[in-house]
Formats: sequence, structure tokens, C-alpha cells
Amino acid sequence: MEKSQYNLCIKVLRRLDKSGILGQIVLAGSWCTLFYEKYFKSVRYVSMVKTRDIDFFIPEPRMIKQSVDVAELLKDMGFIIGFTGSQGYIRLEHPELIVEFLVPEKGRGTDKPYKLPQLGLNAQALRFMELLSQNTITVEVQKMRIVLPHPVNFGLHKLLVQQRRPNKAKSAKDLQDAERVLRAVVEKGETALIKKTFGSMPKKWQSRIKESIKSIQENGFLEFLQGHD
Amino acid sequence: MKVIKSVLKEELVNSLRMKCDYQRELAKLPRGSLIKKKIRGREYCYLVMRENGKVKFVYKGRLDADEVKKYKQVREYRAKYRKLVSELNEQIKFLQGILRGKKSIQSLH
Repeated sequence: MEKSQYNLCIKVLRRLDKSGILGQIVLAGSWCTLFYEKYFKSVRYVSMVKTRDIDFFIPEPRMIKQSVDVAELLKDMGFIIGFTGSQGYIRLEHPELIVEFLVPEKGRGTDKPYKLPQLGLNAQALRFMELLSQNTITVEVQKMRIVLPHPVNFGLHKLLVQQRRPNKAKSAKDLQDAERVLRAVVEKGETALIKKTFGSMPKKWQSRIKESIKSIQENGFLEFLQGHD
Repeated sequence: MKVIKSVLKEELVNSLRMKCDYQRELAKLPRGSLIKKKIRGREYCYLVMRENGKVKFVYKGRLDADEVKKYKQVREYRAKYRKLVSELNEQIKFLQGILRGKKSIQSLH
């Protein structure tokens, strides 16, 4: 990864930290795998291929009380507002980084963006995201405390969502990401946590995850979950 | 390999879209740069711009510090966005080159 991209990411995190919202959001997506290197210090772990998209998950959007115009906050760094999708999801764009916000999808779900007036943005509501905030870890990066989903939750979430991806290459990337992170978890000796998190999931989710594991080519990967209910 | 190719394709689409977005932002910025002329000991502001190949001065009069600051900021943003557009052009060229293989550039659009 280019150093300038990492530095820009740190600058964005610092601005969010100073504005007081970093503690209320979870860094999700492929960028959090970079910061897992701090968690997996003692085991073999190399972070994955990342896109420019840096996703911030807001578990409780209504709990954000402070009013922060995020677009204005990052404007002088060259970020501009861009819109994606037919519904107009807002993302903050820079040639090196694209900042997006996500919220959990509730009920039947909707395609419409979730309004975040306190941040001057909108967010995309996605299914299964609550799994990422059920168990989180905090890593310290350049004197900032960044909240990340626990690697177990991250890996199981990837296994859960990969089947819903219409894009096969993205689905394959999800599998690779999940495998790499969960393998490091096993090596770190936290197999019990994988079992516990898996056991606490609804049966439907469990069978989806089992299906995903079957498509991982290497035999024996997470086989202990196959007989687990 | 499939995964890397898909990531690169996604990045190319992002770069192309972002280039359009930056050009839109550039078009939104007011034209011209603010300059000050000293006439009989007093400073007057003008917006200087090029129109049809000719340099044009638009009289703005005596502006307060806030307005001067605003024009200065616009100038900075314009320079910044232009630099970022040229960065995006380089990215697009690089990504198209990698993804193209034996295909023509047009087939990627």
C-alpha cells in the first residue's frame, strides 16, 4: 500500500477523532484488516488486498448527538461529495480514499439511503451489519483508539454475506478475507470464540456459513463448525 | 488472480466516476483569480480571467478581508482539484493499461 494512502487514512481518522465521532463508529470493510495486524502481533498474518473504499459502520445512528458536517470536515483535504447508486448514497471521494457510512438494516429493509442529518450525510443500510458491532476490539493507532469488529465477527460476517454477492469475484474475495482472518484467529488460540459466536447465531445464518465453508477449497478449514449447532 | 482483477476493475470505475465528480466541482467554482491594483494610493480588487484567448479584468472594487479570503480559498481549491484530476488521469491510464491486455481502451468504457 502506498504510504500516502495510509497517511491520508490516518488524517481522516484524526479529524473524526477530534470531532468526537470516531469512538461511536466501527471501522468496517477491508480497511480494518490492516489494523488487525496490531491484534495478530504474535501470529502469522498479512492484511488483504484493499480497495480505496473505507467504510464506517454506525451501530446506533440515533445515538450520535453531536452535529458534525463530515463533508466540510474533510473538504480542505480535497474530499468532494459523490453520489452512487440510483438512490444517491453519499460518499466522500478522494483519488486515494473513498469514505462511506453504513448503518444496520432493520425490518424488511429498504433501498433508500438512511439520513444522517447530524453528520450532513446519508448512509447505506445493510443486512447482517449488527454482527460486526456485537463484539468489537479497540486498537491504538498513532494515539487514536479505533474500534474494529472482532476478527471472529469479521470473518463470520464475510462468510455470511459472500453468498448474497451478485459479483462472483467479490464473493471470492470475501471468502479469501474470511479464511485469512479466521485462520489467524485459530492460530492465536481463539477457536472457542469462533464456536461461541457461531453458536449464538440464528440457525439460518449458521447454515449459510456452513455452506460458505464448503466452498473454501482447502479441506479441514473450520470443520469443527460443520457438526456444531 | 480473479480477485485482483476485479479489485482493479472496481478501482478503474471509481477513478472514472471520480474524475467526472471533480470536473463538476471545478465547474462550480467561480472563475478568475483576485488581484489588487493600486490606483492613486488606494487598492482596488479585480478578477482576472481568460476569455476567448484574451485576458479580462472584472472590477470588484474594495473588498473586505472576508471576501478576499473567500476568493483565495477558491483559488486554492481550484489548484487542489486540478492536481487531483491529474492524479486520477494517471490512475486511469495505469489501470486501463493493466486491465487492457490485448483489448482496446474503448472496450473498457
